[in-house]
Amino acid sequence: MARVVILGAGISGHTAALHLQRQLKNKAEIIVVTPNSNWNWIPSNIWVGVGKMTKDQVTFPLAPIYKRKHIGFRQAKAVAIHPEGSPDNPQGFVDIVYTDPTRSGQEEQLTYDYLIVATGPKLNFAATPGLGPDGNSWSVCTAGHAEQSAAALETIIEALKAGERKTLVIGVGHGTCTCEGAAFEYTFNVEHELRERGVRELADVVYLSNEYDLGDLGVGGMTFAQNGFETSSKMWTESLFRERGVRAILRAHVEKVDPGVIHYEELDGSKHTLDFDFAMLLPPFRGVDMKAYANNGDDITDDLFAPNGFLRVDADYAAKPFEEWTPEDWPKTYQCPRYANVFGVGIAFAPPHAISEPRKSPNGTVISPAPPRTGMPSGVMGRTVALSIAERIRRGDQAPLRTASMAAMGAACIASAGTGLRKGSAAAITMYPIIPDRKRFPGSGRDLTQTSGEIGLSGHWTKLLLHYLFIYKAKARFGWFMIPE
Amino acid sequence: MSDVDRSIAEAPLPTAGTLRRRKNLFYQVTRFVAFNFRMMKMVTRAHH
Repeated sequence: MARVVILGAGISGHTAALHLQRQLKNKAEIIVVTPNSNWNWIPSNIWVGVGKMTKDQVTFPLAPIYKRKHIGFRQAKAVAIHPEGSPDNPQGFVDIVYTDPTRSGQEEQLTYDYLIVATGPKLNFAATPGLGPDGNSWSVCTAGHAEQSAAALETIIEALKAGERKTLVIGVGHGTCTCEGAAFEYTFNVEHELRERGVRELADVVYLSNEYDLGDLGVGGMTFAQNGFETSSKMWTESLFRERGVRAILRAHVEKVDPGVIHYEELDGSKHTLDFDFAMLLPPFRGVDMKAYANNGDDITDDLFAPNGFLRVDADYAAKPFEEWTPEDWPKTYQCPRYANVFGVGIAFAPPHAISEPRKSPNGTVISPAPPRTGMPSGVMGRTVALSIAERIRRGDQAPLRTASMAAMGAACIASAGTGLRKGSAAAITMYPIIPDRKRFPGSGRDLTQTSGEIGLSGHWTKLLLHYLFIYKAKARFGWFMIPE
Repeated sequence: MSDVDRSIAEAPLPTAGTLRRRKNLFYQVTRFVAFNFRMMKMVTRAHH
């Protein structure tokens, strides 16, 4: 019986596991390896970060789900891939180290016929001295981090209630960060919470980002057709900042975070400091620290993984200037070029380049967003690769692979700007395609009939609906597969 | 004032009517339906 090993149980890995099991039933053994015992609906972490949801509302244990679906589960961390196997056995295998408290530290070699790398990112707080919950700022990247942020925010709100003035800085903690959308959401959820608690007047809320313009969001900004005009996401976002009285510092690379002081460099090379009482700064991402070895023991990590630690797939990684970037640079099948039975999905695949225009300060510091590839695209990639592998297991190695290029895929992004069934709001955005295609869509590079943005209470309802729908789906409850990624 | 601050200060402010519409339950129900329809169209395309 063929064995498929999936490294990671985030949106892409978990989606792949469920679809593989549904497609193959007893025809293959599916094993998921993940260091975490819980699944986390990460988009709702921002609500945990303002105390509107608990950790338990955004996470659930994976083990019972996998037991019910007959999917193997190893609570462990993958440390090395041996795609050529060993001198005695050509079958590929991965080295894993258990994080399961009952087997902590034990090692195992797990052979595979197909391998899906869906490890997500390593939260690289170390890239910026003083960044992160172990340093001098907070994070909402995990449900645990979000709970810590909520507790810290509560302390600030108490001080505001006592009449003290406070500065709250929310944004990204490095010039190469991604997920500006999450920072945007947390900014406006905090601002909403401060208003709800009657302390907004005493708080200075500052958004600190590596984006060149507001509304870039790591996708190079968007153009919407509204009321007979083409409107930029820049103007649209600036309008929200003006309405809600949020300050913005853009084109910034955070160099270090001291207690109460952020040191940052701007794109013009100038250096600044910003005092704060509360800071939630997202870290940059890199691939998890996994090694790769040939069957003779040679280290082939650099062949399999890009310098940023993400897995090389069927993308065009040739370095080229921004003007020469094309949609064809982006991967379609997510298959590793050197090993046909290895795939990389979600954040774990190495993008060929950014989507936003790359920029450097005169000091050589890169200050531009990395490309986002979370949420809906991650789920679609996981499903696509699962269907490709299922097809190959059923029909043999020549079965064609399915494709899901981000250049041929749209995305919906619901950026919460405050909670509450009557008082909440969110920016609801759709875009098609994710990767701009200026030949097909001259000007903005996206289809104006399918790229839209609107702010309102209904966006909050949609985000809440997606919270419940995707947790239902991830729990593999009745009819889960009918809920699209 | 920085360029960013200036740009924000010059951004269009929503009118009182726009702010009311953003919270109006009846209007928002129609926007909820319209947005989810648009999103489903996009999702359907993404699955091919």
